[in-house]
Amino acid sequence: MEIKHTALAGTLESSDVQITLSEGKGISIDLDSQVEKQFGKQIKKVVTDLLAKYEINNVKVHVVDKGALDCTIKARLIAAIQRATDTQNEQNWGVLE
Amino acid sequence: MDTIKIDLNDPYYYQQWQKLIENEGLYIENLDDITETIGIYDEDKLIATGSYFNNVLKYLAIDPEYQGGNVFNKLVSYLISDLASQNIFHVFVFTKTQYQSSFEYLGFKLVAKSSFSTLLETGDYSITQYISELPKVSGNNISAIVMNANPFTLGHRYLIEEASKKSDVVYVFVVSQNASLFKTSERIELVKAGTKDLNNVVVVAGGDYMVSFVTFPSYFIKSRSDVVTYQTELDAQVFKRIAEALNITKRFVGEEPYSPTTEIYNQSLKKILIPEVVLEVLKRKEIGGDIISATKVRQAISKENLEAIRKYVPETTFDFIKTNLKDLLRRINNGN
Amino acid sequence: MERLRRTMMFVPGNNPAMIKDAGIYGADSIMFDLEDSVSLAEKDAARMLVFEALKNVDYGNSELVVRINGLDTDMGKADIYAMVKAGVQVIRLPKTETPDDVVETEKVIAEAEKFFGIENGRTHMMAAIESAEGVLNAPAIAKASDRLIGIALGAEDYVTNMKTHRYPDGAELSFARNMILHGARAAGIAAFDTVYSDVDNTEGFNHEVEIIHELGFDGKSVINPRQIPLVNAIYAPSEKEIRNAKAVLNAIEEAHKKGSGVISLHGKMVDKPVVARAERTMALAKASHLVDKEGNIYVE
Repeated sequence: MEIKHTALAGTLESSDVQITLSEGKGISIDLDSQVEKQFGKQIKKVVTDLLAKYEINNVKVHVVDKGALDCTIKARLIAAIQRATDTQNEQNWGVLE
Repeated sequence: MDTIKIDLNDPYYYQQWQKLIENEGLYIENLDDITETIGIYDEDKLIATGSYFNNVLKYLAIDPEYQGGNVFNKLVSYLISDLASQNIFHVFVFTKTQYQSSFEYLGFKLVAKSSFSTLLETGDYSITQYISELPKVSGNNISAIVMNANPFTLGHRYLIEEASKKSDVVYVFVVSQNASLFKTSERIELVKAGTKDLNNVVVVAGGDYMVSFVTFPSYFIKSRSDVVTYQTELDAQVFKRIAEALNITKRFVGEEPYSPTTEIYNQSLKKILIPEVVLEVLKRKEIGGDIISATKVRQAISKENLEAIRKYVPETTFDFIKTNLKDLLRRINNGN
Repeated sequence: MERLRRTMMFVPGNNPAMIKDAGIYGADSIMFDLEDSVSLAEKDAARMLVFEALKNVDYGNSELVVRINGLDTDMGKADIYAMVKAGVQVIRLPKTETPDDVVETEKVIAEAEKFFGIENGRTHMMAAIESAEGVLNAPAIAKASDRLIGIALGAEDYVTNMKTHRYPDGAELSFARNMILHGARAAGIAAFDTVYSDVDNTEGFNHEVEIIHELGFDGKSVINPRQIPLVNAIYAPSEKEIRNAKAVLNAIEEAHKKGSGVISLHGKMVDKPVVARAERTMALAKASHLVDKEGNIYVE
């Protein structure tokens, strides 16, 4: 899938994560997190795994983590992907295992 | 707690807002420079507020009783989401230096800082990306000129020519300012067209980073007499950051005998740029004792005086004005 | 036996902090809201947040309910599909006016179950009644689908529809509460009372819970975890009630041992409703930690 335009999902409130997706070459992830040392790798893995499932190969990702659970990161990323590809009401059920 | 948009034209909201803003030591400048204002309420009490103008966050204030908690995050988050819903994703904030880390904590990144203030940004674009997208050149003696060129005149041409003689390469940054009579894209094209013959001149868009420094919000500067110094200092710091990346060691400016503000600006710019960048002031081009200025060109346009225009501008600019005269007059009448 | 539903805690569907912690307060049911608490611009994001939470967060023994947007909106169908896929136990319809609203929603749920290869009928439903029309139709609504586990009063919209407000004595809700309760009981499903939004007013809250407890509601909707122990305290059975219930259950056991189909206690025949009440009392007693696993009363 291709990113059509920049989109954002999530908030900066506690236990949430704000994810901004924009057009890019290859996948680049810019992560801001207070727990980056302990969980940076894990957060990036959640992001890259899900991007791979959606077959998104070119995207710039800005993640501002406020201590979100993995499932929250996934949910926000799905919302951002759907917004960036204009597919909010066409869930990709194959991806949402 | 409820977060709502508030209408500052409604005295009920304005009074609450003004009280909170002023209690937090902020100075209300001009309400026209606010696109949207939001308020966070605890029952009937306004406990936090924030605004934006275009893509710049402004007038952020939180009641002291509610500071240090989640309210700041809520406030900034709401503003960013609201801008995102209008497809604005690249967001700036000018703030007091002590709040730098609070914004960095929310994913903002430093653009530049001065002794008075900090400029930060977040979203889908950054100064790093802007710099990486600028054409790179090699040479020992790389200089820069920043101009509005509203529109490009023989005076501008003269400055660039002089700089071109004294440098291996000259970058010409054309300031982004939507309020100009000539649109940013038009101004850039006219500068390019008017300097086509100069091989060592690179014309680039100032983008979000080379903007008119007087548009920097200063509502958080307590001492009003410090405002110009603050704006200049921050502007110079942004320039320095770009200059460093492009190996620019000299900046040329035109002499400003008739504009005290610009003269003050040039003077303080000189102090701040040194030692990395040297500021050189060039004399203005005169035609028969008459200094050329873009203001005079715009005045001539409003009077449809093509002969006067021809005197001040290169052929390329003249042709553009002639072709688009009606449109330009319409813009003038609409308040530009 | 029917499960306890003393408290149904409302959790805004776009608030990760509240969603994450919803399981720790011991609510009998947790209702994630995709409807009124979520702004229009965030409906898609909330749907995914609740979807992922249902699949990944451990909510212990709480029954999981999701309030969807109505099928008259763009979101309703997408909400149902996502929640069925996530395996939610109960889908709550907002603003139910007629039995047809239930039937329509059931159709989409059945469609979603088929689409995902999920056993037909696994997803239960409940209907919130929030208008005069809905209240008058409550008995028919309660019988509109086998999937229904209960009906609930949504008082905020209801009082607006009735051109009134909430008042401390609850007189304005009296008719609606009774209609809903009767509708639910006649259909053999649960009845839930509305929320009480003044979180700081413990006295007012307790008063309202006492009213609905007396009427016979299964439980109350709560918007703040602090309200949960208050409801539980009022729903806790008295020692006398527990002793009575134990006696009934012992009588059943004895009758079974004897192989007798007739259960008698103190010389009287014990019929079905009495047995059901005894079972419910013991369940409440256990949930309130008044008895141990075997049903022995804790000595204070």
